[in-house]
Parts: sequence; C-alpha cells; structure tokens
Amino acid sequence: MPKFTINGQEVEARDGQTIIQAAEEIGVDIPHYCYHPDLPIDGNCRMCLVDVERMPKLTPACATVVTEGMVVRTNNERVKEAVRGVLEFLLVNHPVDCPVCDQAGECRLQDYYMVYGLHTSEIPLGMKVRKRKVIDLGPMVVLDQERCVLCSRCVRFCDHVTGTGELQFFGRGDHVAIGTFEDRPLENAYSGNVVDICPVGALTSRDFRFKCRVWFLHGADSVCGGCSTGCSVRIDHRDGTIFRLLPRRNPEVNKSWLCDEGRMSFHALSTGSRIVQPKVKGPAGVPTAARWDEVIASINSRLKETAAAHGSGSIIGIGSASATNEALFLFKRYLSDRLGATRFEFRLDGEDRRVAEREDDLLRRTDKHPNSMGAMKLGLMDAELGGIEGAISAARAGRIKAGVIIYLKPLVARPGDDAAEARVAELVRSLEYSVVLAAHEADWQSAASVLLPIAAWSEEEGTYTNYEGRIQFAGRALAPDGGSRPAWQVFALLLGADGTEPGWTSPEQVFESMAESIPAYRNIARSQTRLPGVVIAV
Amino acid sequence: MIEFSGDGKRRYQNILSHYPEKRAALIPVLTLAQREFGWISKEVAEYVGKLMGYPASDVLAVASFYTMLHKKPAGKYHMEVCRNVSCWLKGTYACVDAIKQRLNVDFGGVTADGKFSFALTECLGSCGTAPAMQVGDRYYEDLTPASVVEIIEKLAND
Amino acid sequence: MIKILLENTDKVDQVRLEKYKQRGGYRALRKVLTMDPPAIIEEVKASGLRGRGGAGFPTGMKWGFVPRNTGKPTYLLCNADESEPGTFKDRILMERDPHLMIEGMAIACYALNCHLSYIYLRGEYEFIAHTVQRALDEAYEAGVLGPSVLGHDFALDIHLHLGQGAYICGEETALIESLEGYRGYPRIKPPFPATHGFLASPTVVNNVETLCALPWIITNGGAAYASIGTEKSKGTKLFSVSGHVAKPGVYEVEMGYPLLEFINKEAGGIPNGHKLKAVIPGGSSVPVLTAQECEGVGLDYESLLKAGSMLGSGGMIVFDDTTKMPEVLSVIADFYAHESCGQCTPCREGTGWAAKILRNMVSGTGKWSDVDLLLKIADMMEGKTICPLADADVMPIRSFVTKYRREFEALCSS
Repeated sequence: MPKFTINGQEVEARDGQTIIQAAEEIGVDIPHYCYHPDLPIDGNCRMCLVDVERMPKLTPACATVVTEGMVVRTNNERVKEAVRGVLEFLLVNHPVDCPVCDQAGECRLQDYYMVYGLHTSEIPLGMKVRKRKVIDLGPMVVLDQERCVLCSRCVRFCDHVTGTGELQFFGRGDHVAIGTFEDRPLENAYSGNVVDICPVGALTSRDFRFKCRVWFLHGADSVCGGCSTGCSVRIDHRDGTIFRLLPRRNPEVNKSWLCDEGRMSFHALSTGSRIVQPKVKGPAGVPTAARWDEVIASINSRLKETAAAHGSGSIIGIGSASATNEALFLFKRYLSDRLGATRFEFRLDGEDRRVAEREDDLLRRTDKHPNSMGAMKLGLMDAELGGIEGAISAARAGRIKAGVIIYLKPLVARPGDDAAEARVAELVRSLEYSVVLAAHEADWQSAASVLLPIAAWSEEEGTYTNYEGRIQFAGRALAPDGGSRPAWQVFALLLGADGTEPGWTSPEQVFESMAESIPAYRNIARSQTRLPGVVIAV
Repeated sequence: MIEFSGDGKRRYQNILSHYPEKRAALIPVLTLAQREFGWISKEVAEYVGKLMGYPASDVLAVASFYTMLHKKPAGKYHMEVCRNVSCWLKGTYACVDAIKQRLNVDFGGVTADGKFSFALTECLGSCGTAPAMQVGDRYYEDLTPASVVEIIEKLAND
Repeated sequence: MIKILLENTDKVDQVRLEKYKQRGGYRALRKVLTMDPPAIIEEVKASGLRGRGGAGFPTGMKWGFVPRNTGKPTYLLCNADESEPGTFKDRILMERDPHLMIEGMAIACYALNCHLSYIYLRGEYEFIAHTVQRALDEAYEAGVLGPSVLGHDFALDIHLHLGQGAYICGEETALIESLEGYRGYPRIKPPFPATHGFLASPTVVNNVETLCALPWIITNGGAAYASIGTEKSKGTKLFSVSGHVAKPGVYEVEMGYPLLEFINKEAGGIPNGHKLKAVIPGGSSVPVLTAQECEGVGLDYESLLKAGSMLGSGGMIVFDDTTKMPEVLSVIADFYAHESCGQCTPCREGTGWAAKILRNMVSGTGKWSDVDLLLKIADMMEGKTICPLADADVMPIRSFVTKYRREFEALCSS
C-alpha cells in the first residue's frame, strides 16, 4: 500500500495500482484516450503524461505504477502544455467535421479541447491526410477513419476480449488507419462495444447514429434482460422511447461489456402490440375490456371459489423467469397465503438446468431470462410437476383447475421460444380458469379467462438474481405502457383485495418483505443490490 | 485457391523450426509468400492466416507495416532507389528521372510487360557508394543516369 | 592506427571459416568456454565497451541486468537492422568478416547462458544474408555452433531473421516485437528487455559492431581495450562517412580521434575545392554541427555531446558550402515521417506535419511563421513518446532551423 502525493495531496494507493487508477479513485481526472480499465495498457495516446518528481521526462500515468513516496503532478504548466500539444497534434489530420458527427456530446476530443486546447487549428485541408469515411462494418458499427485518434482501444478489444482480431491498424506513420480485412463486418457477438469504447466519432453505432443528440437522453440504471448473466446496463431514453442500451461497468459481472444481442434486446419491446387494458372472457367466449378494480375483485373471488370447491391443490402459479423478484415474491405470497396454493412452477424449457450454462467464453448464457435464479430461490419449482409439462398433464387430468400465469417473451430470441410459448398456451387452454399476466399480445391469450397487461422490462423497478445468485437492482426507465401495471403491483392489489394486508406501495417495500421472509435473501439490504450487486448462495 | 509450392512448403516447415513460438515465423513466412506469389494480396494474407491460424486482418496489418512486403503487384525487377540524404546529395533524382524516362512509369508503377516496377526507398546503407538502388537481393551502387539505363537494359534482356 | 574490427575485412576469403580460423578466429570463443560466465561479464565491463548501435549504453552493464535462474530461456538478439541514414558500418563487418560477428555472438551467448540467438538483419541486406547464412552453415558444420559448441558442453543455435523494411525495428523493443511477428511497435519500458524481452523472456539486444569487438576484448583483455580511446569512451569506433568527401567509406578510429582530421585525412577532405559547411556526425538523428562547431571536437561520446551533438551510430554525413540546408532537413524530415510507426500521437502527427511544412518551404510556398512553427512542433514532440524516434526528428529539426535560420527564412514569404 504505497503512499504517494498527487497535486499536493497525500494518498495511499493499492499495490500495483497505476497513477491513473489511483488518481481516479480520489477524483483526480487524468485525460486519456487509450487507457481503458478493462483493456491491456498500451500507452500510445500520450494524453495522460504527468510530472513525477525525480523522473526527467513526463511519464504516462496509465503505465506507471505508484511507488512509495512518489510525488506526482497532473496539473502544472509542464503537464498542461504537453496535453495541449497532444490535442493540437490530434487535430492536425482530423477533419473537424463536428457539426455532422454523431459523437458530439460524448467526444473526448471535444471535451478535452474545451479544457486544455482552445487553440486555433489552421492546417489547411490540403495538408491533411485524408482517409476513408462511412465504412459499413456490419449491423452494429460504422467506421470513419479520419476521425480516429488511433488509440487502439477497439483493436485491443478485438484482440484481447473477443480474440477475433478483426479490427487492426493498417499502414504506418500518419497514414495508419484502423479497419477490417476487405471491410468485412465485425463478426463477433460483442462488436457494439467498440462503439462504446471509441473515445471519438470514429466508430459509431449503426443502430443509434443520428437518432437523437445524446444530451437530450435520460439514463436509467438497469440490468440487461437478455440472459441469466444480468449485465449492468444503462437505458438511454427520451419521451417514452428507448434509444439505446449501454453497458455500465460492473467489474464483477460484465466489466465494461455487453453482447450485441443484449444491446439490441430493447427493440423486442417495441415489436408486436402491447396489451393496453385488462380483458375478461365473456360468456360467449369473447374477451372484453374490463376495469382493473373489477378484475382484481373477480379474480380474487373466483380463485377462492376454486380453492373452496376443489382444494388449494387445484390452483397452480406459473411464474416467469423474466419477472422481477418483487413480482414473483408477491405472486407467490398471494397464491400461497390467500389461497393456500402449493404448486408453483416457472420452468418452460429447463431454465433451472441452463441457468449457468455458458453460450460463449465471455458473457452470454443459454438461459435467455434475467431471473431464473430468482425464481428458483423463491421456490417456484415443483418436484412432482418438473416444469410446465407436468402442469399441463395435471390440468388435462383435471387435478389442476385454475392457474395464474405470468408470461414475458424473452427479449433475446432463440429457436425454442415458440415451443415454450406454445406450452404456456396449451396450459391456458387446459385450465378451467386462467389468469394470464403478459406485456405483449399473442393469439393464444384469447383462451385466457382473464388477461392482465403488465409492465415490460424497463418499465418496472425491481431486482433480478443472476446465474451466480447476484441480486441486482434495475431501475425503471419508462412508465408502464398504456393501462399496464408492474406485475408486483398487480399482486399487491390482489393481496389487498380482502382489505386485510397493509399493502405495498413501492418495490422497495416489497424487497424489505422479501428480505424478511425468504431465507436466501435474509439480512440483505436493498442498497446492496446496487452496483456491483450482492451474491447469495446458490 | 492458392497454395505454396512443394519447395515453398518445405521452406515453410524449415522457417517454423527456427522459432520457439509459431507467431515469430509470421514475417519470414510472409517473405516466403511474397517470393511464391509475387506480392501480399488479400488472398495471400488469407492463405497465410489460415495456414498459421491468425485472422487475415491480423496478417495484412502486419504486412502493411513493412515496406518490403508489397501490397500491390510489383514488377519482376522491383527497383528501389534510395532518396535519403547521401544519395540525394549525390544525385539520386537525376537517376530517378532517367529510370522514369526509360521505363515510362512513375513511382509505384509497373511497366506494361510486368518486368519492372520502381519506387523510392529510404536509406539503404549505401551512403558511401551513393546513389544506390536495390533490386531484389542485389544492390547497385555509385549510380549515374547512364548506369541505371544500362542496368535496366541488362535486366530487360535477362 | 590499431584495428580491432576491420583488421581482416580486406583480406582474401575472410568470409570463409577456414581463413577466419587461420587468422586467429574462434580462439576467443575457445577461451571463454573455459571461463566462468560472470568473469566474462566482468571482463566486458572492464573494457568499457559501450553499445555501438547509437545509444552508447555500457555493454557489460546491460548484460549484468539479465536475471539468472528465472526458469525462462535467455535470448541474445544481434541488431543488424542498420538503417540510420548515413550508417553503413555493420554492413562491412557482415559482408567481409561474418565469422567475427558469429564469434562475438557466441561469446555473448555463453556469458549470458543463452542457447538460442537471432541475427535480425534488415531485409534490404538480403545480399548480405547469403554471406551470413553461408558462414552460419559453415559454423554448424564445423561444430562451432550446434549442440556442443567447439566440443564443450554448451549448445547454441543462431538463426538469421530478415526484417522487411522498417527503420523503427532497429529500436530494441520494436525489434523484439517484430521478431515476434507483429508490427514493429516499440514497447513501453519498464519492463525492460533484460527481464521481459523476446517472448517475455530475459533478452539482450546488441549491435553488430558491439558484438564484433568481443573477440578482441576476450583475447587481449578488458584492460587492453580500455587503454584505447579517451577516459570515458573506450576502444575504437567505426565511422561510415559519406556526402561531400573525397573518400567516403568506413573507417575505424580510436575514440577521441579529431573530427576535422578524420574528415580531411581518412575521408580525403572536401572535394572540388569546396569548404566544409556542416557535419552530421552520428547518423541523421543527431544534431548537425556547423563547420565552426567541429573545431577541436573529438570523435567520442563526451566530446561530441559537449559540442552539442552525439556520437550516435557513427554515420557521418559531410556537407560542403554548396549545400542548401533546408533541403537536407526536408529530406531528413520526410524520412522520419515515413518511418514513424504511428503509435504515439506526437510522433505520428508531428513528424508528418513537420515534413509537410518543410516540403512547402522548399517548394516556395512556406510562410514566415512556419520557421517558428517547426521549432514549436519540435518542442511538442520532444520527450513525449514511447521510443526515441520523435526525438530523432526533433534533433535535426531544431539544430538545422536554429543554426541555419536565415536559409529557412529566405525560402519563406509573407
């Protein structure tokens, strides 16, 4: 634990920490392009040069390990001049096409220029090295070679993180340009990350570019709903529309990365129609719109009747591995406490077996639900039924009469999805009375006795428990669409239908109840579910 | 689909045997590939990449760093004339003009018969015998406008 | 004058092992094989031999940094990537006395406990590769190299590796990167090659000329070598002289030999009745000296430094009074722009920018303010990059522009 002095402040660094890392921890920002905490050190940009006593030359903060007694200055005139020099050099061959560059607002070239530069750059265009613009690098990425500062972050990402090596430096000197072989598309499943790590406008997102200036966006911290890894993400949205998902750095889960499917998963939310209000199947078998309060009361009484007539064993609850812990907790609480139900399932396709199964060496897992482990921890598995197929058989045999089913379509599609959904439909058709909670419309829902619109991912605050038992907080980005409600609230209403419960008015309260009553979650404070999340035993 | 010749394959194996790690053989293998195929085309980069287990982009990126690995077709005799200080002092450009005139091609060009190409290059280490040029594994030194034309004539009749 | 390096380079068939042996070759190697490796390193330290590639770092000390018993192999890399403009000294050694280099390498390898070594020869020197390879083949056949060097329990393989055209690969970490099969990007130090070099193993990179001095040092002792030259610059040094001299070529002189005497005597003076205008004494990367500044200067590290330049590689370029200095600088600046690897921002952008400004000046489109802009760019580049290539551009730019400012200004309008 070496002690060192930075800008006159004496601080302690961790062993092996570099100056840039130690400085960042105490809030001293050292400008940089090439340094990235999750990539190997390269030291090429020369922006992070700092003045270290007893070193004759300025030294790169990213590549210099803090040693005992080191005296570092990051803001003296010598350093500022060096940084100004590097910035001026970076603009020598830069096209300065900022007005039409989609990186504006997130461009380190612009940002640092405001702080350090403000010099005039008078190099005539004829003297600049011209390179290629608007090169299509596949579904995720567009390359502009002229704007590139050659920091090599993207090259290192492809070399060291995905190991696919598509992006490389070509040429030498001021003619060096990044590119792929024959402009081939980036073929790795994580290509969108190169856009995030590009500090300038050289690599922009094909999906997002020119959709919205970034300063108009609002960000909500969330957890990716695309698989059981549960990468930390930020949802950037405006006026009820999601524009993009970005990874949030979580060293324990996804570092700074996000897979392309996860990144694009929000588009699934706007695919197909949303259910806008509760529907109840009328006497003629035709679903008709109904008011929430009426529906809640009728569900409650109908389920109670079923329990009274056929025993509590005749009611089943089918949770969703894509629902929040809060929703699943109140769902189970309602069915077991109010109706005495004992049969619960959530498995549509062996999620419990696949929850930790890797799809690749980096982040993706084969289970495309964010909360299978949460469902397992809440005990939504029935050994006798062994999954939804068992429930279908029991319903066909008449042993199960009624069911409450939450179904959320996976945001990342896989070939087995239709079959899994068909099993839900089959169960619904096999039940005498079914309450289906869903976000998106589907034909089979017409068979449901009651259809309740619930919030989709991004519209509900709550927690998800990932494959390794890490509980992570996901904030709400958008208001629930149309007349839908967060699933936890639907069950809070059902629990309050008798007027006996005090009622839960926030997901936070639900979490506290869960932490009190579920052994796996005991003594966990909700604040712990914030970055990087808290791991419970699996 | 291109492939090394039988001799090329033997040489390839021999190159590999010189290094404790395969990657170190990449540049010598690219040199061999240039000898076999004339230049490092994308097809060649892809072939070498497959042969050695590296992405084609990686192979081409390496090739693009080294000026002696041609990224476009070169003539049978690729003449590289030194443009650096000592050669320049001793009249490189007079020789260059003579070459241009004789071959009727500019820098980087290849003659129509594919026999000659020519380019300027950096210091060849022939400063004491300037001006100098390299043609394959031969140096021609103490050049004059007359001598470069003679050299071309000789090579042309080769 | 004493000849340590060039003693046999003019002799018939010196490239052949048989002749090399007849003239005393491989006796030094035979001698070291009975010595303790640390004792060899001490001998080299005692000789005061400094790296002849350009940096002038003490060779024995460099060897001393190599850790022992790391569990990893140690590599010796012979830097034969001679590409510094004005430098053609290693070439003559390899062309005419390749076994001297091989013997020097074998001595170094034995001292460093290295069993696998490479000669990184610039690709342009392919014609020399034939000579060197034949010498290596002979050495293997004669048991000088191979599993049992000269019958001793010491195995050594030396392979020839050709570069493919990149000046920067003469920088030792770029050389290593290139030898590993990558773009020749210099590496950030630390870690130093002594601990993390080729394949992350302890590595020593020595210049051809440095290695060629070893047989003599072993035969005659470090003290004998140290008795030659000046107080701090020991031994002899090869200077390759070119430009406006009557007898360009490679000459071996004792360190400290007077610069002007060297030009006028060894190099035959300035031809055609012209006068000396300037000298680049150690390759294009070192500051130029005006004729006046050359007076009283000795050819050694300290004297040249004191005069405001450096010994560098010993690649001396002489300019007579007809020379247009801005044009020379433009040629030099184009070289560094062409050879910048492109890794560090200041070098990549600065070398190219400076070269373009100079091209404009020489073609008559320069601006008055460009003269100071060149000096500003030099300041912006200096000392801010991973390797010394940017500084190698800074030194000529700054020295040419300050010492011959009027010539630059005369080219500029407005």
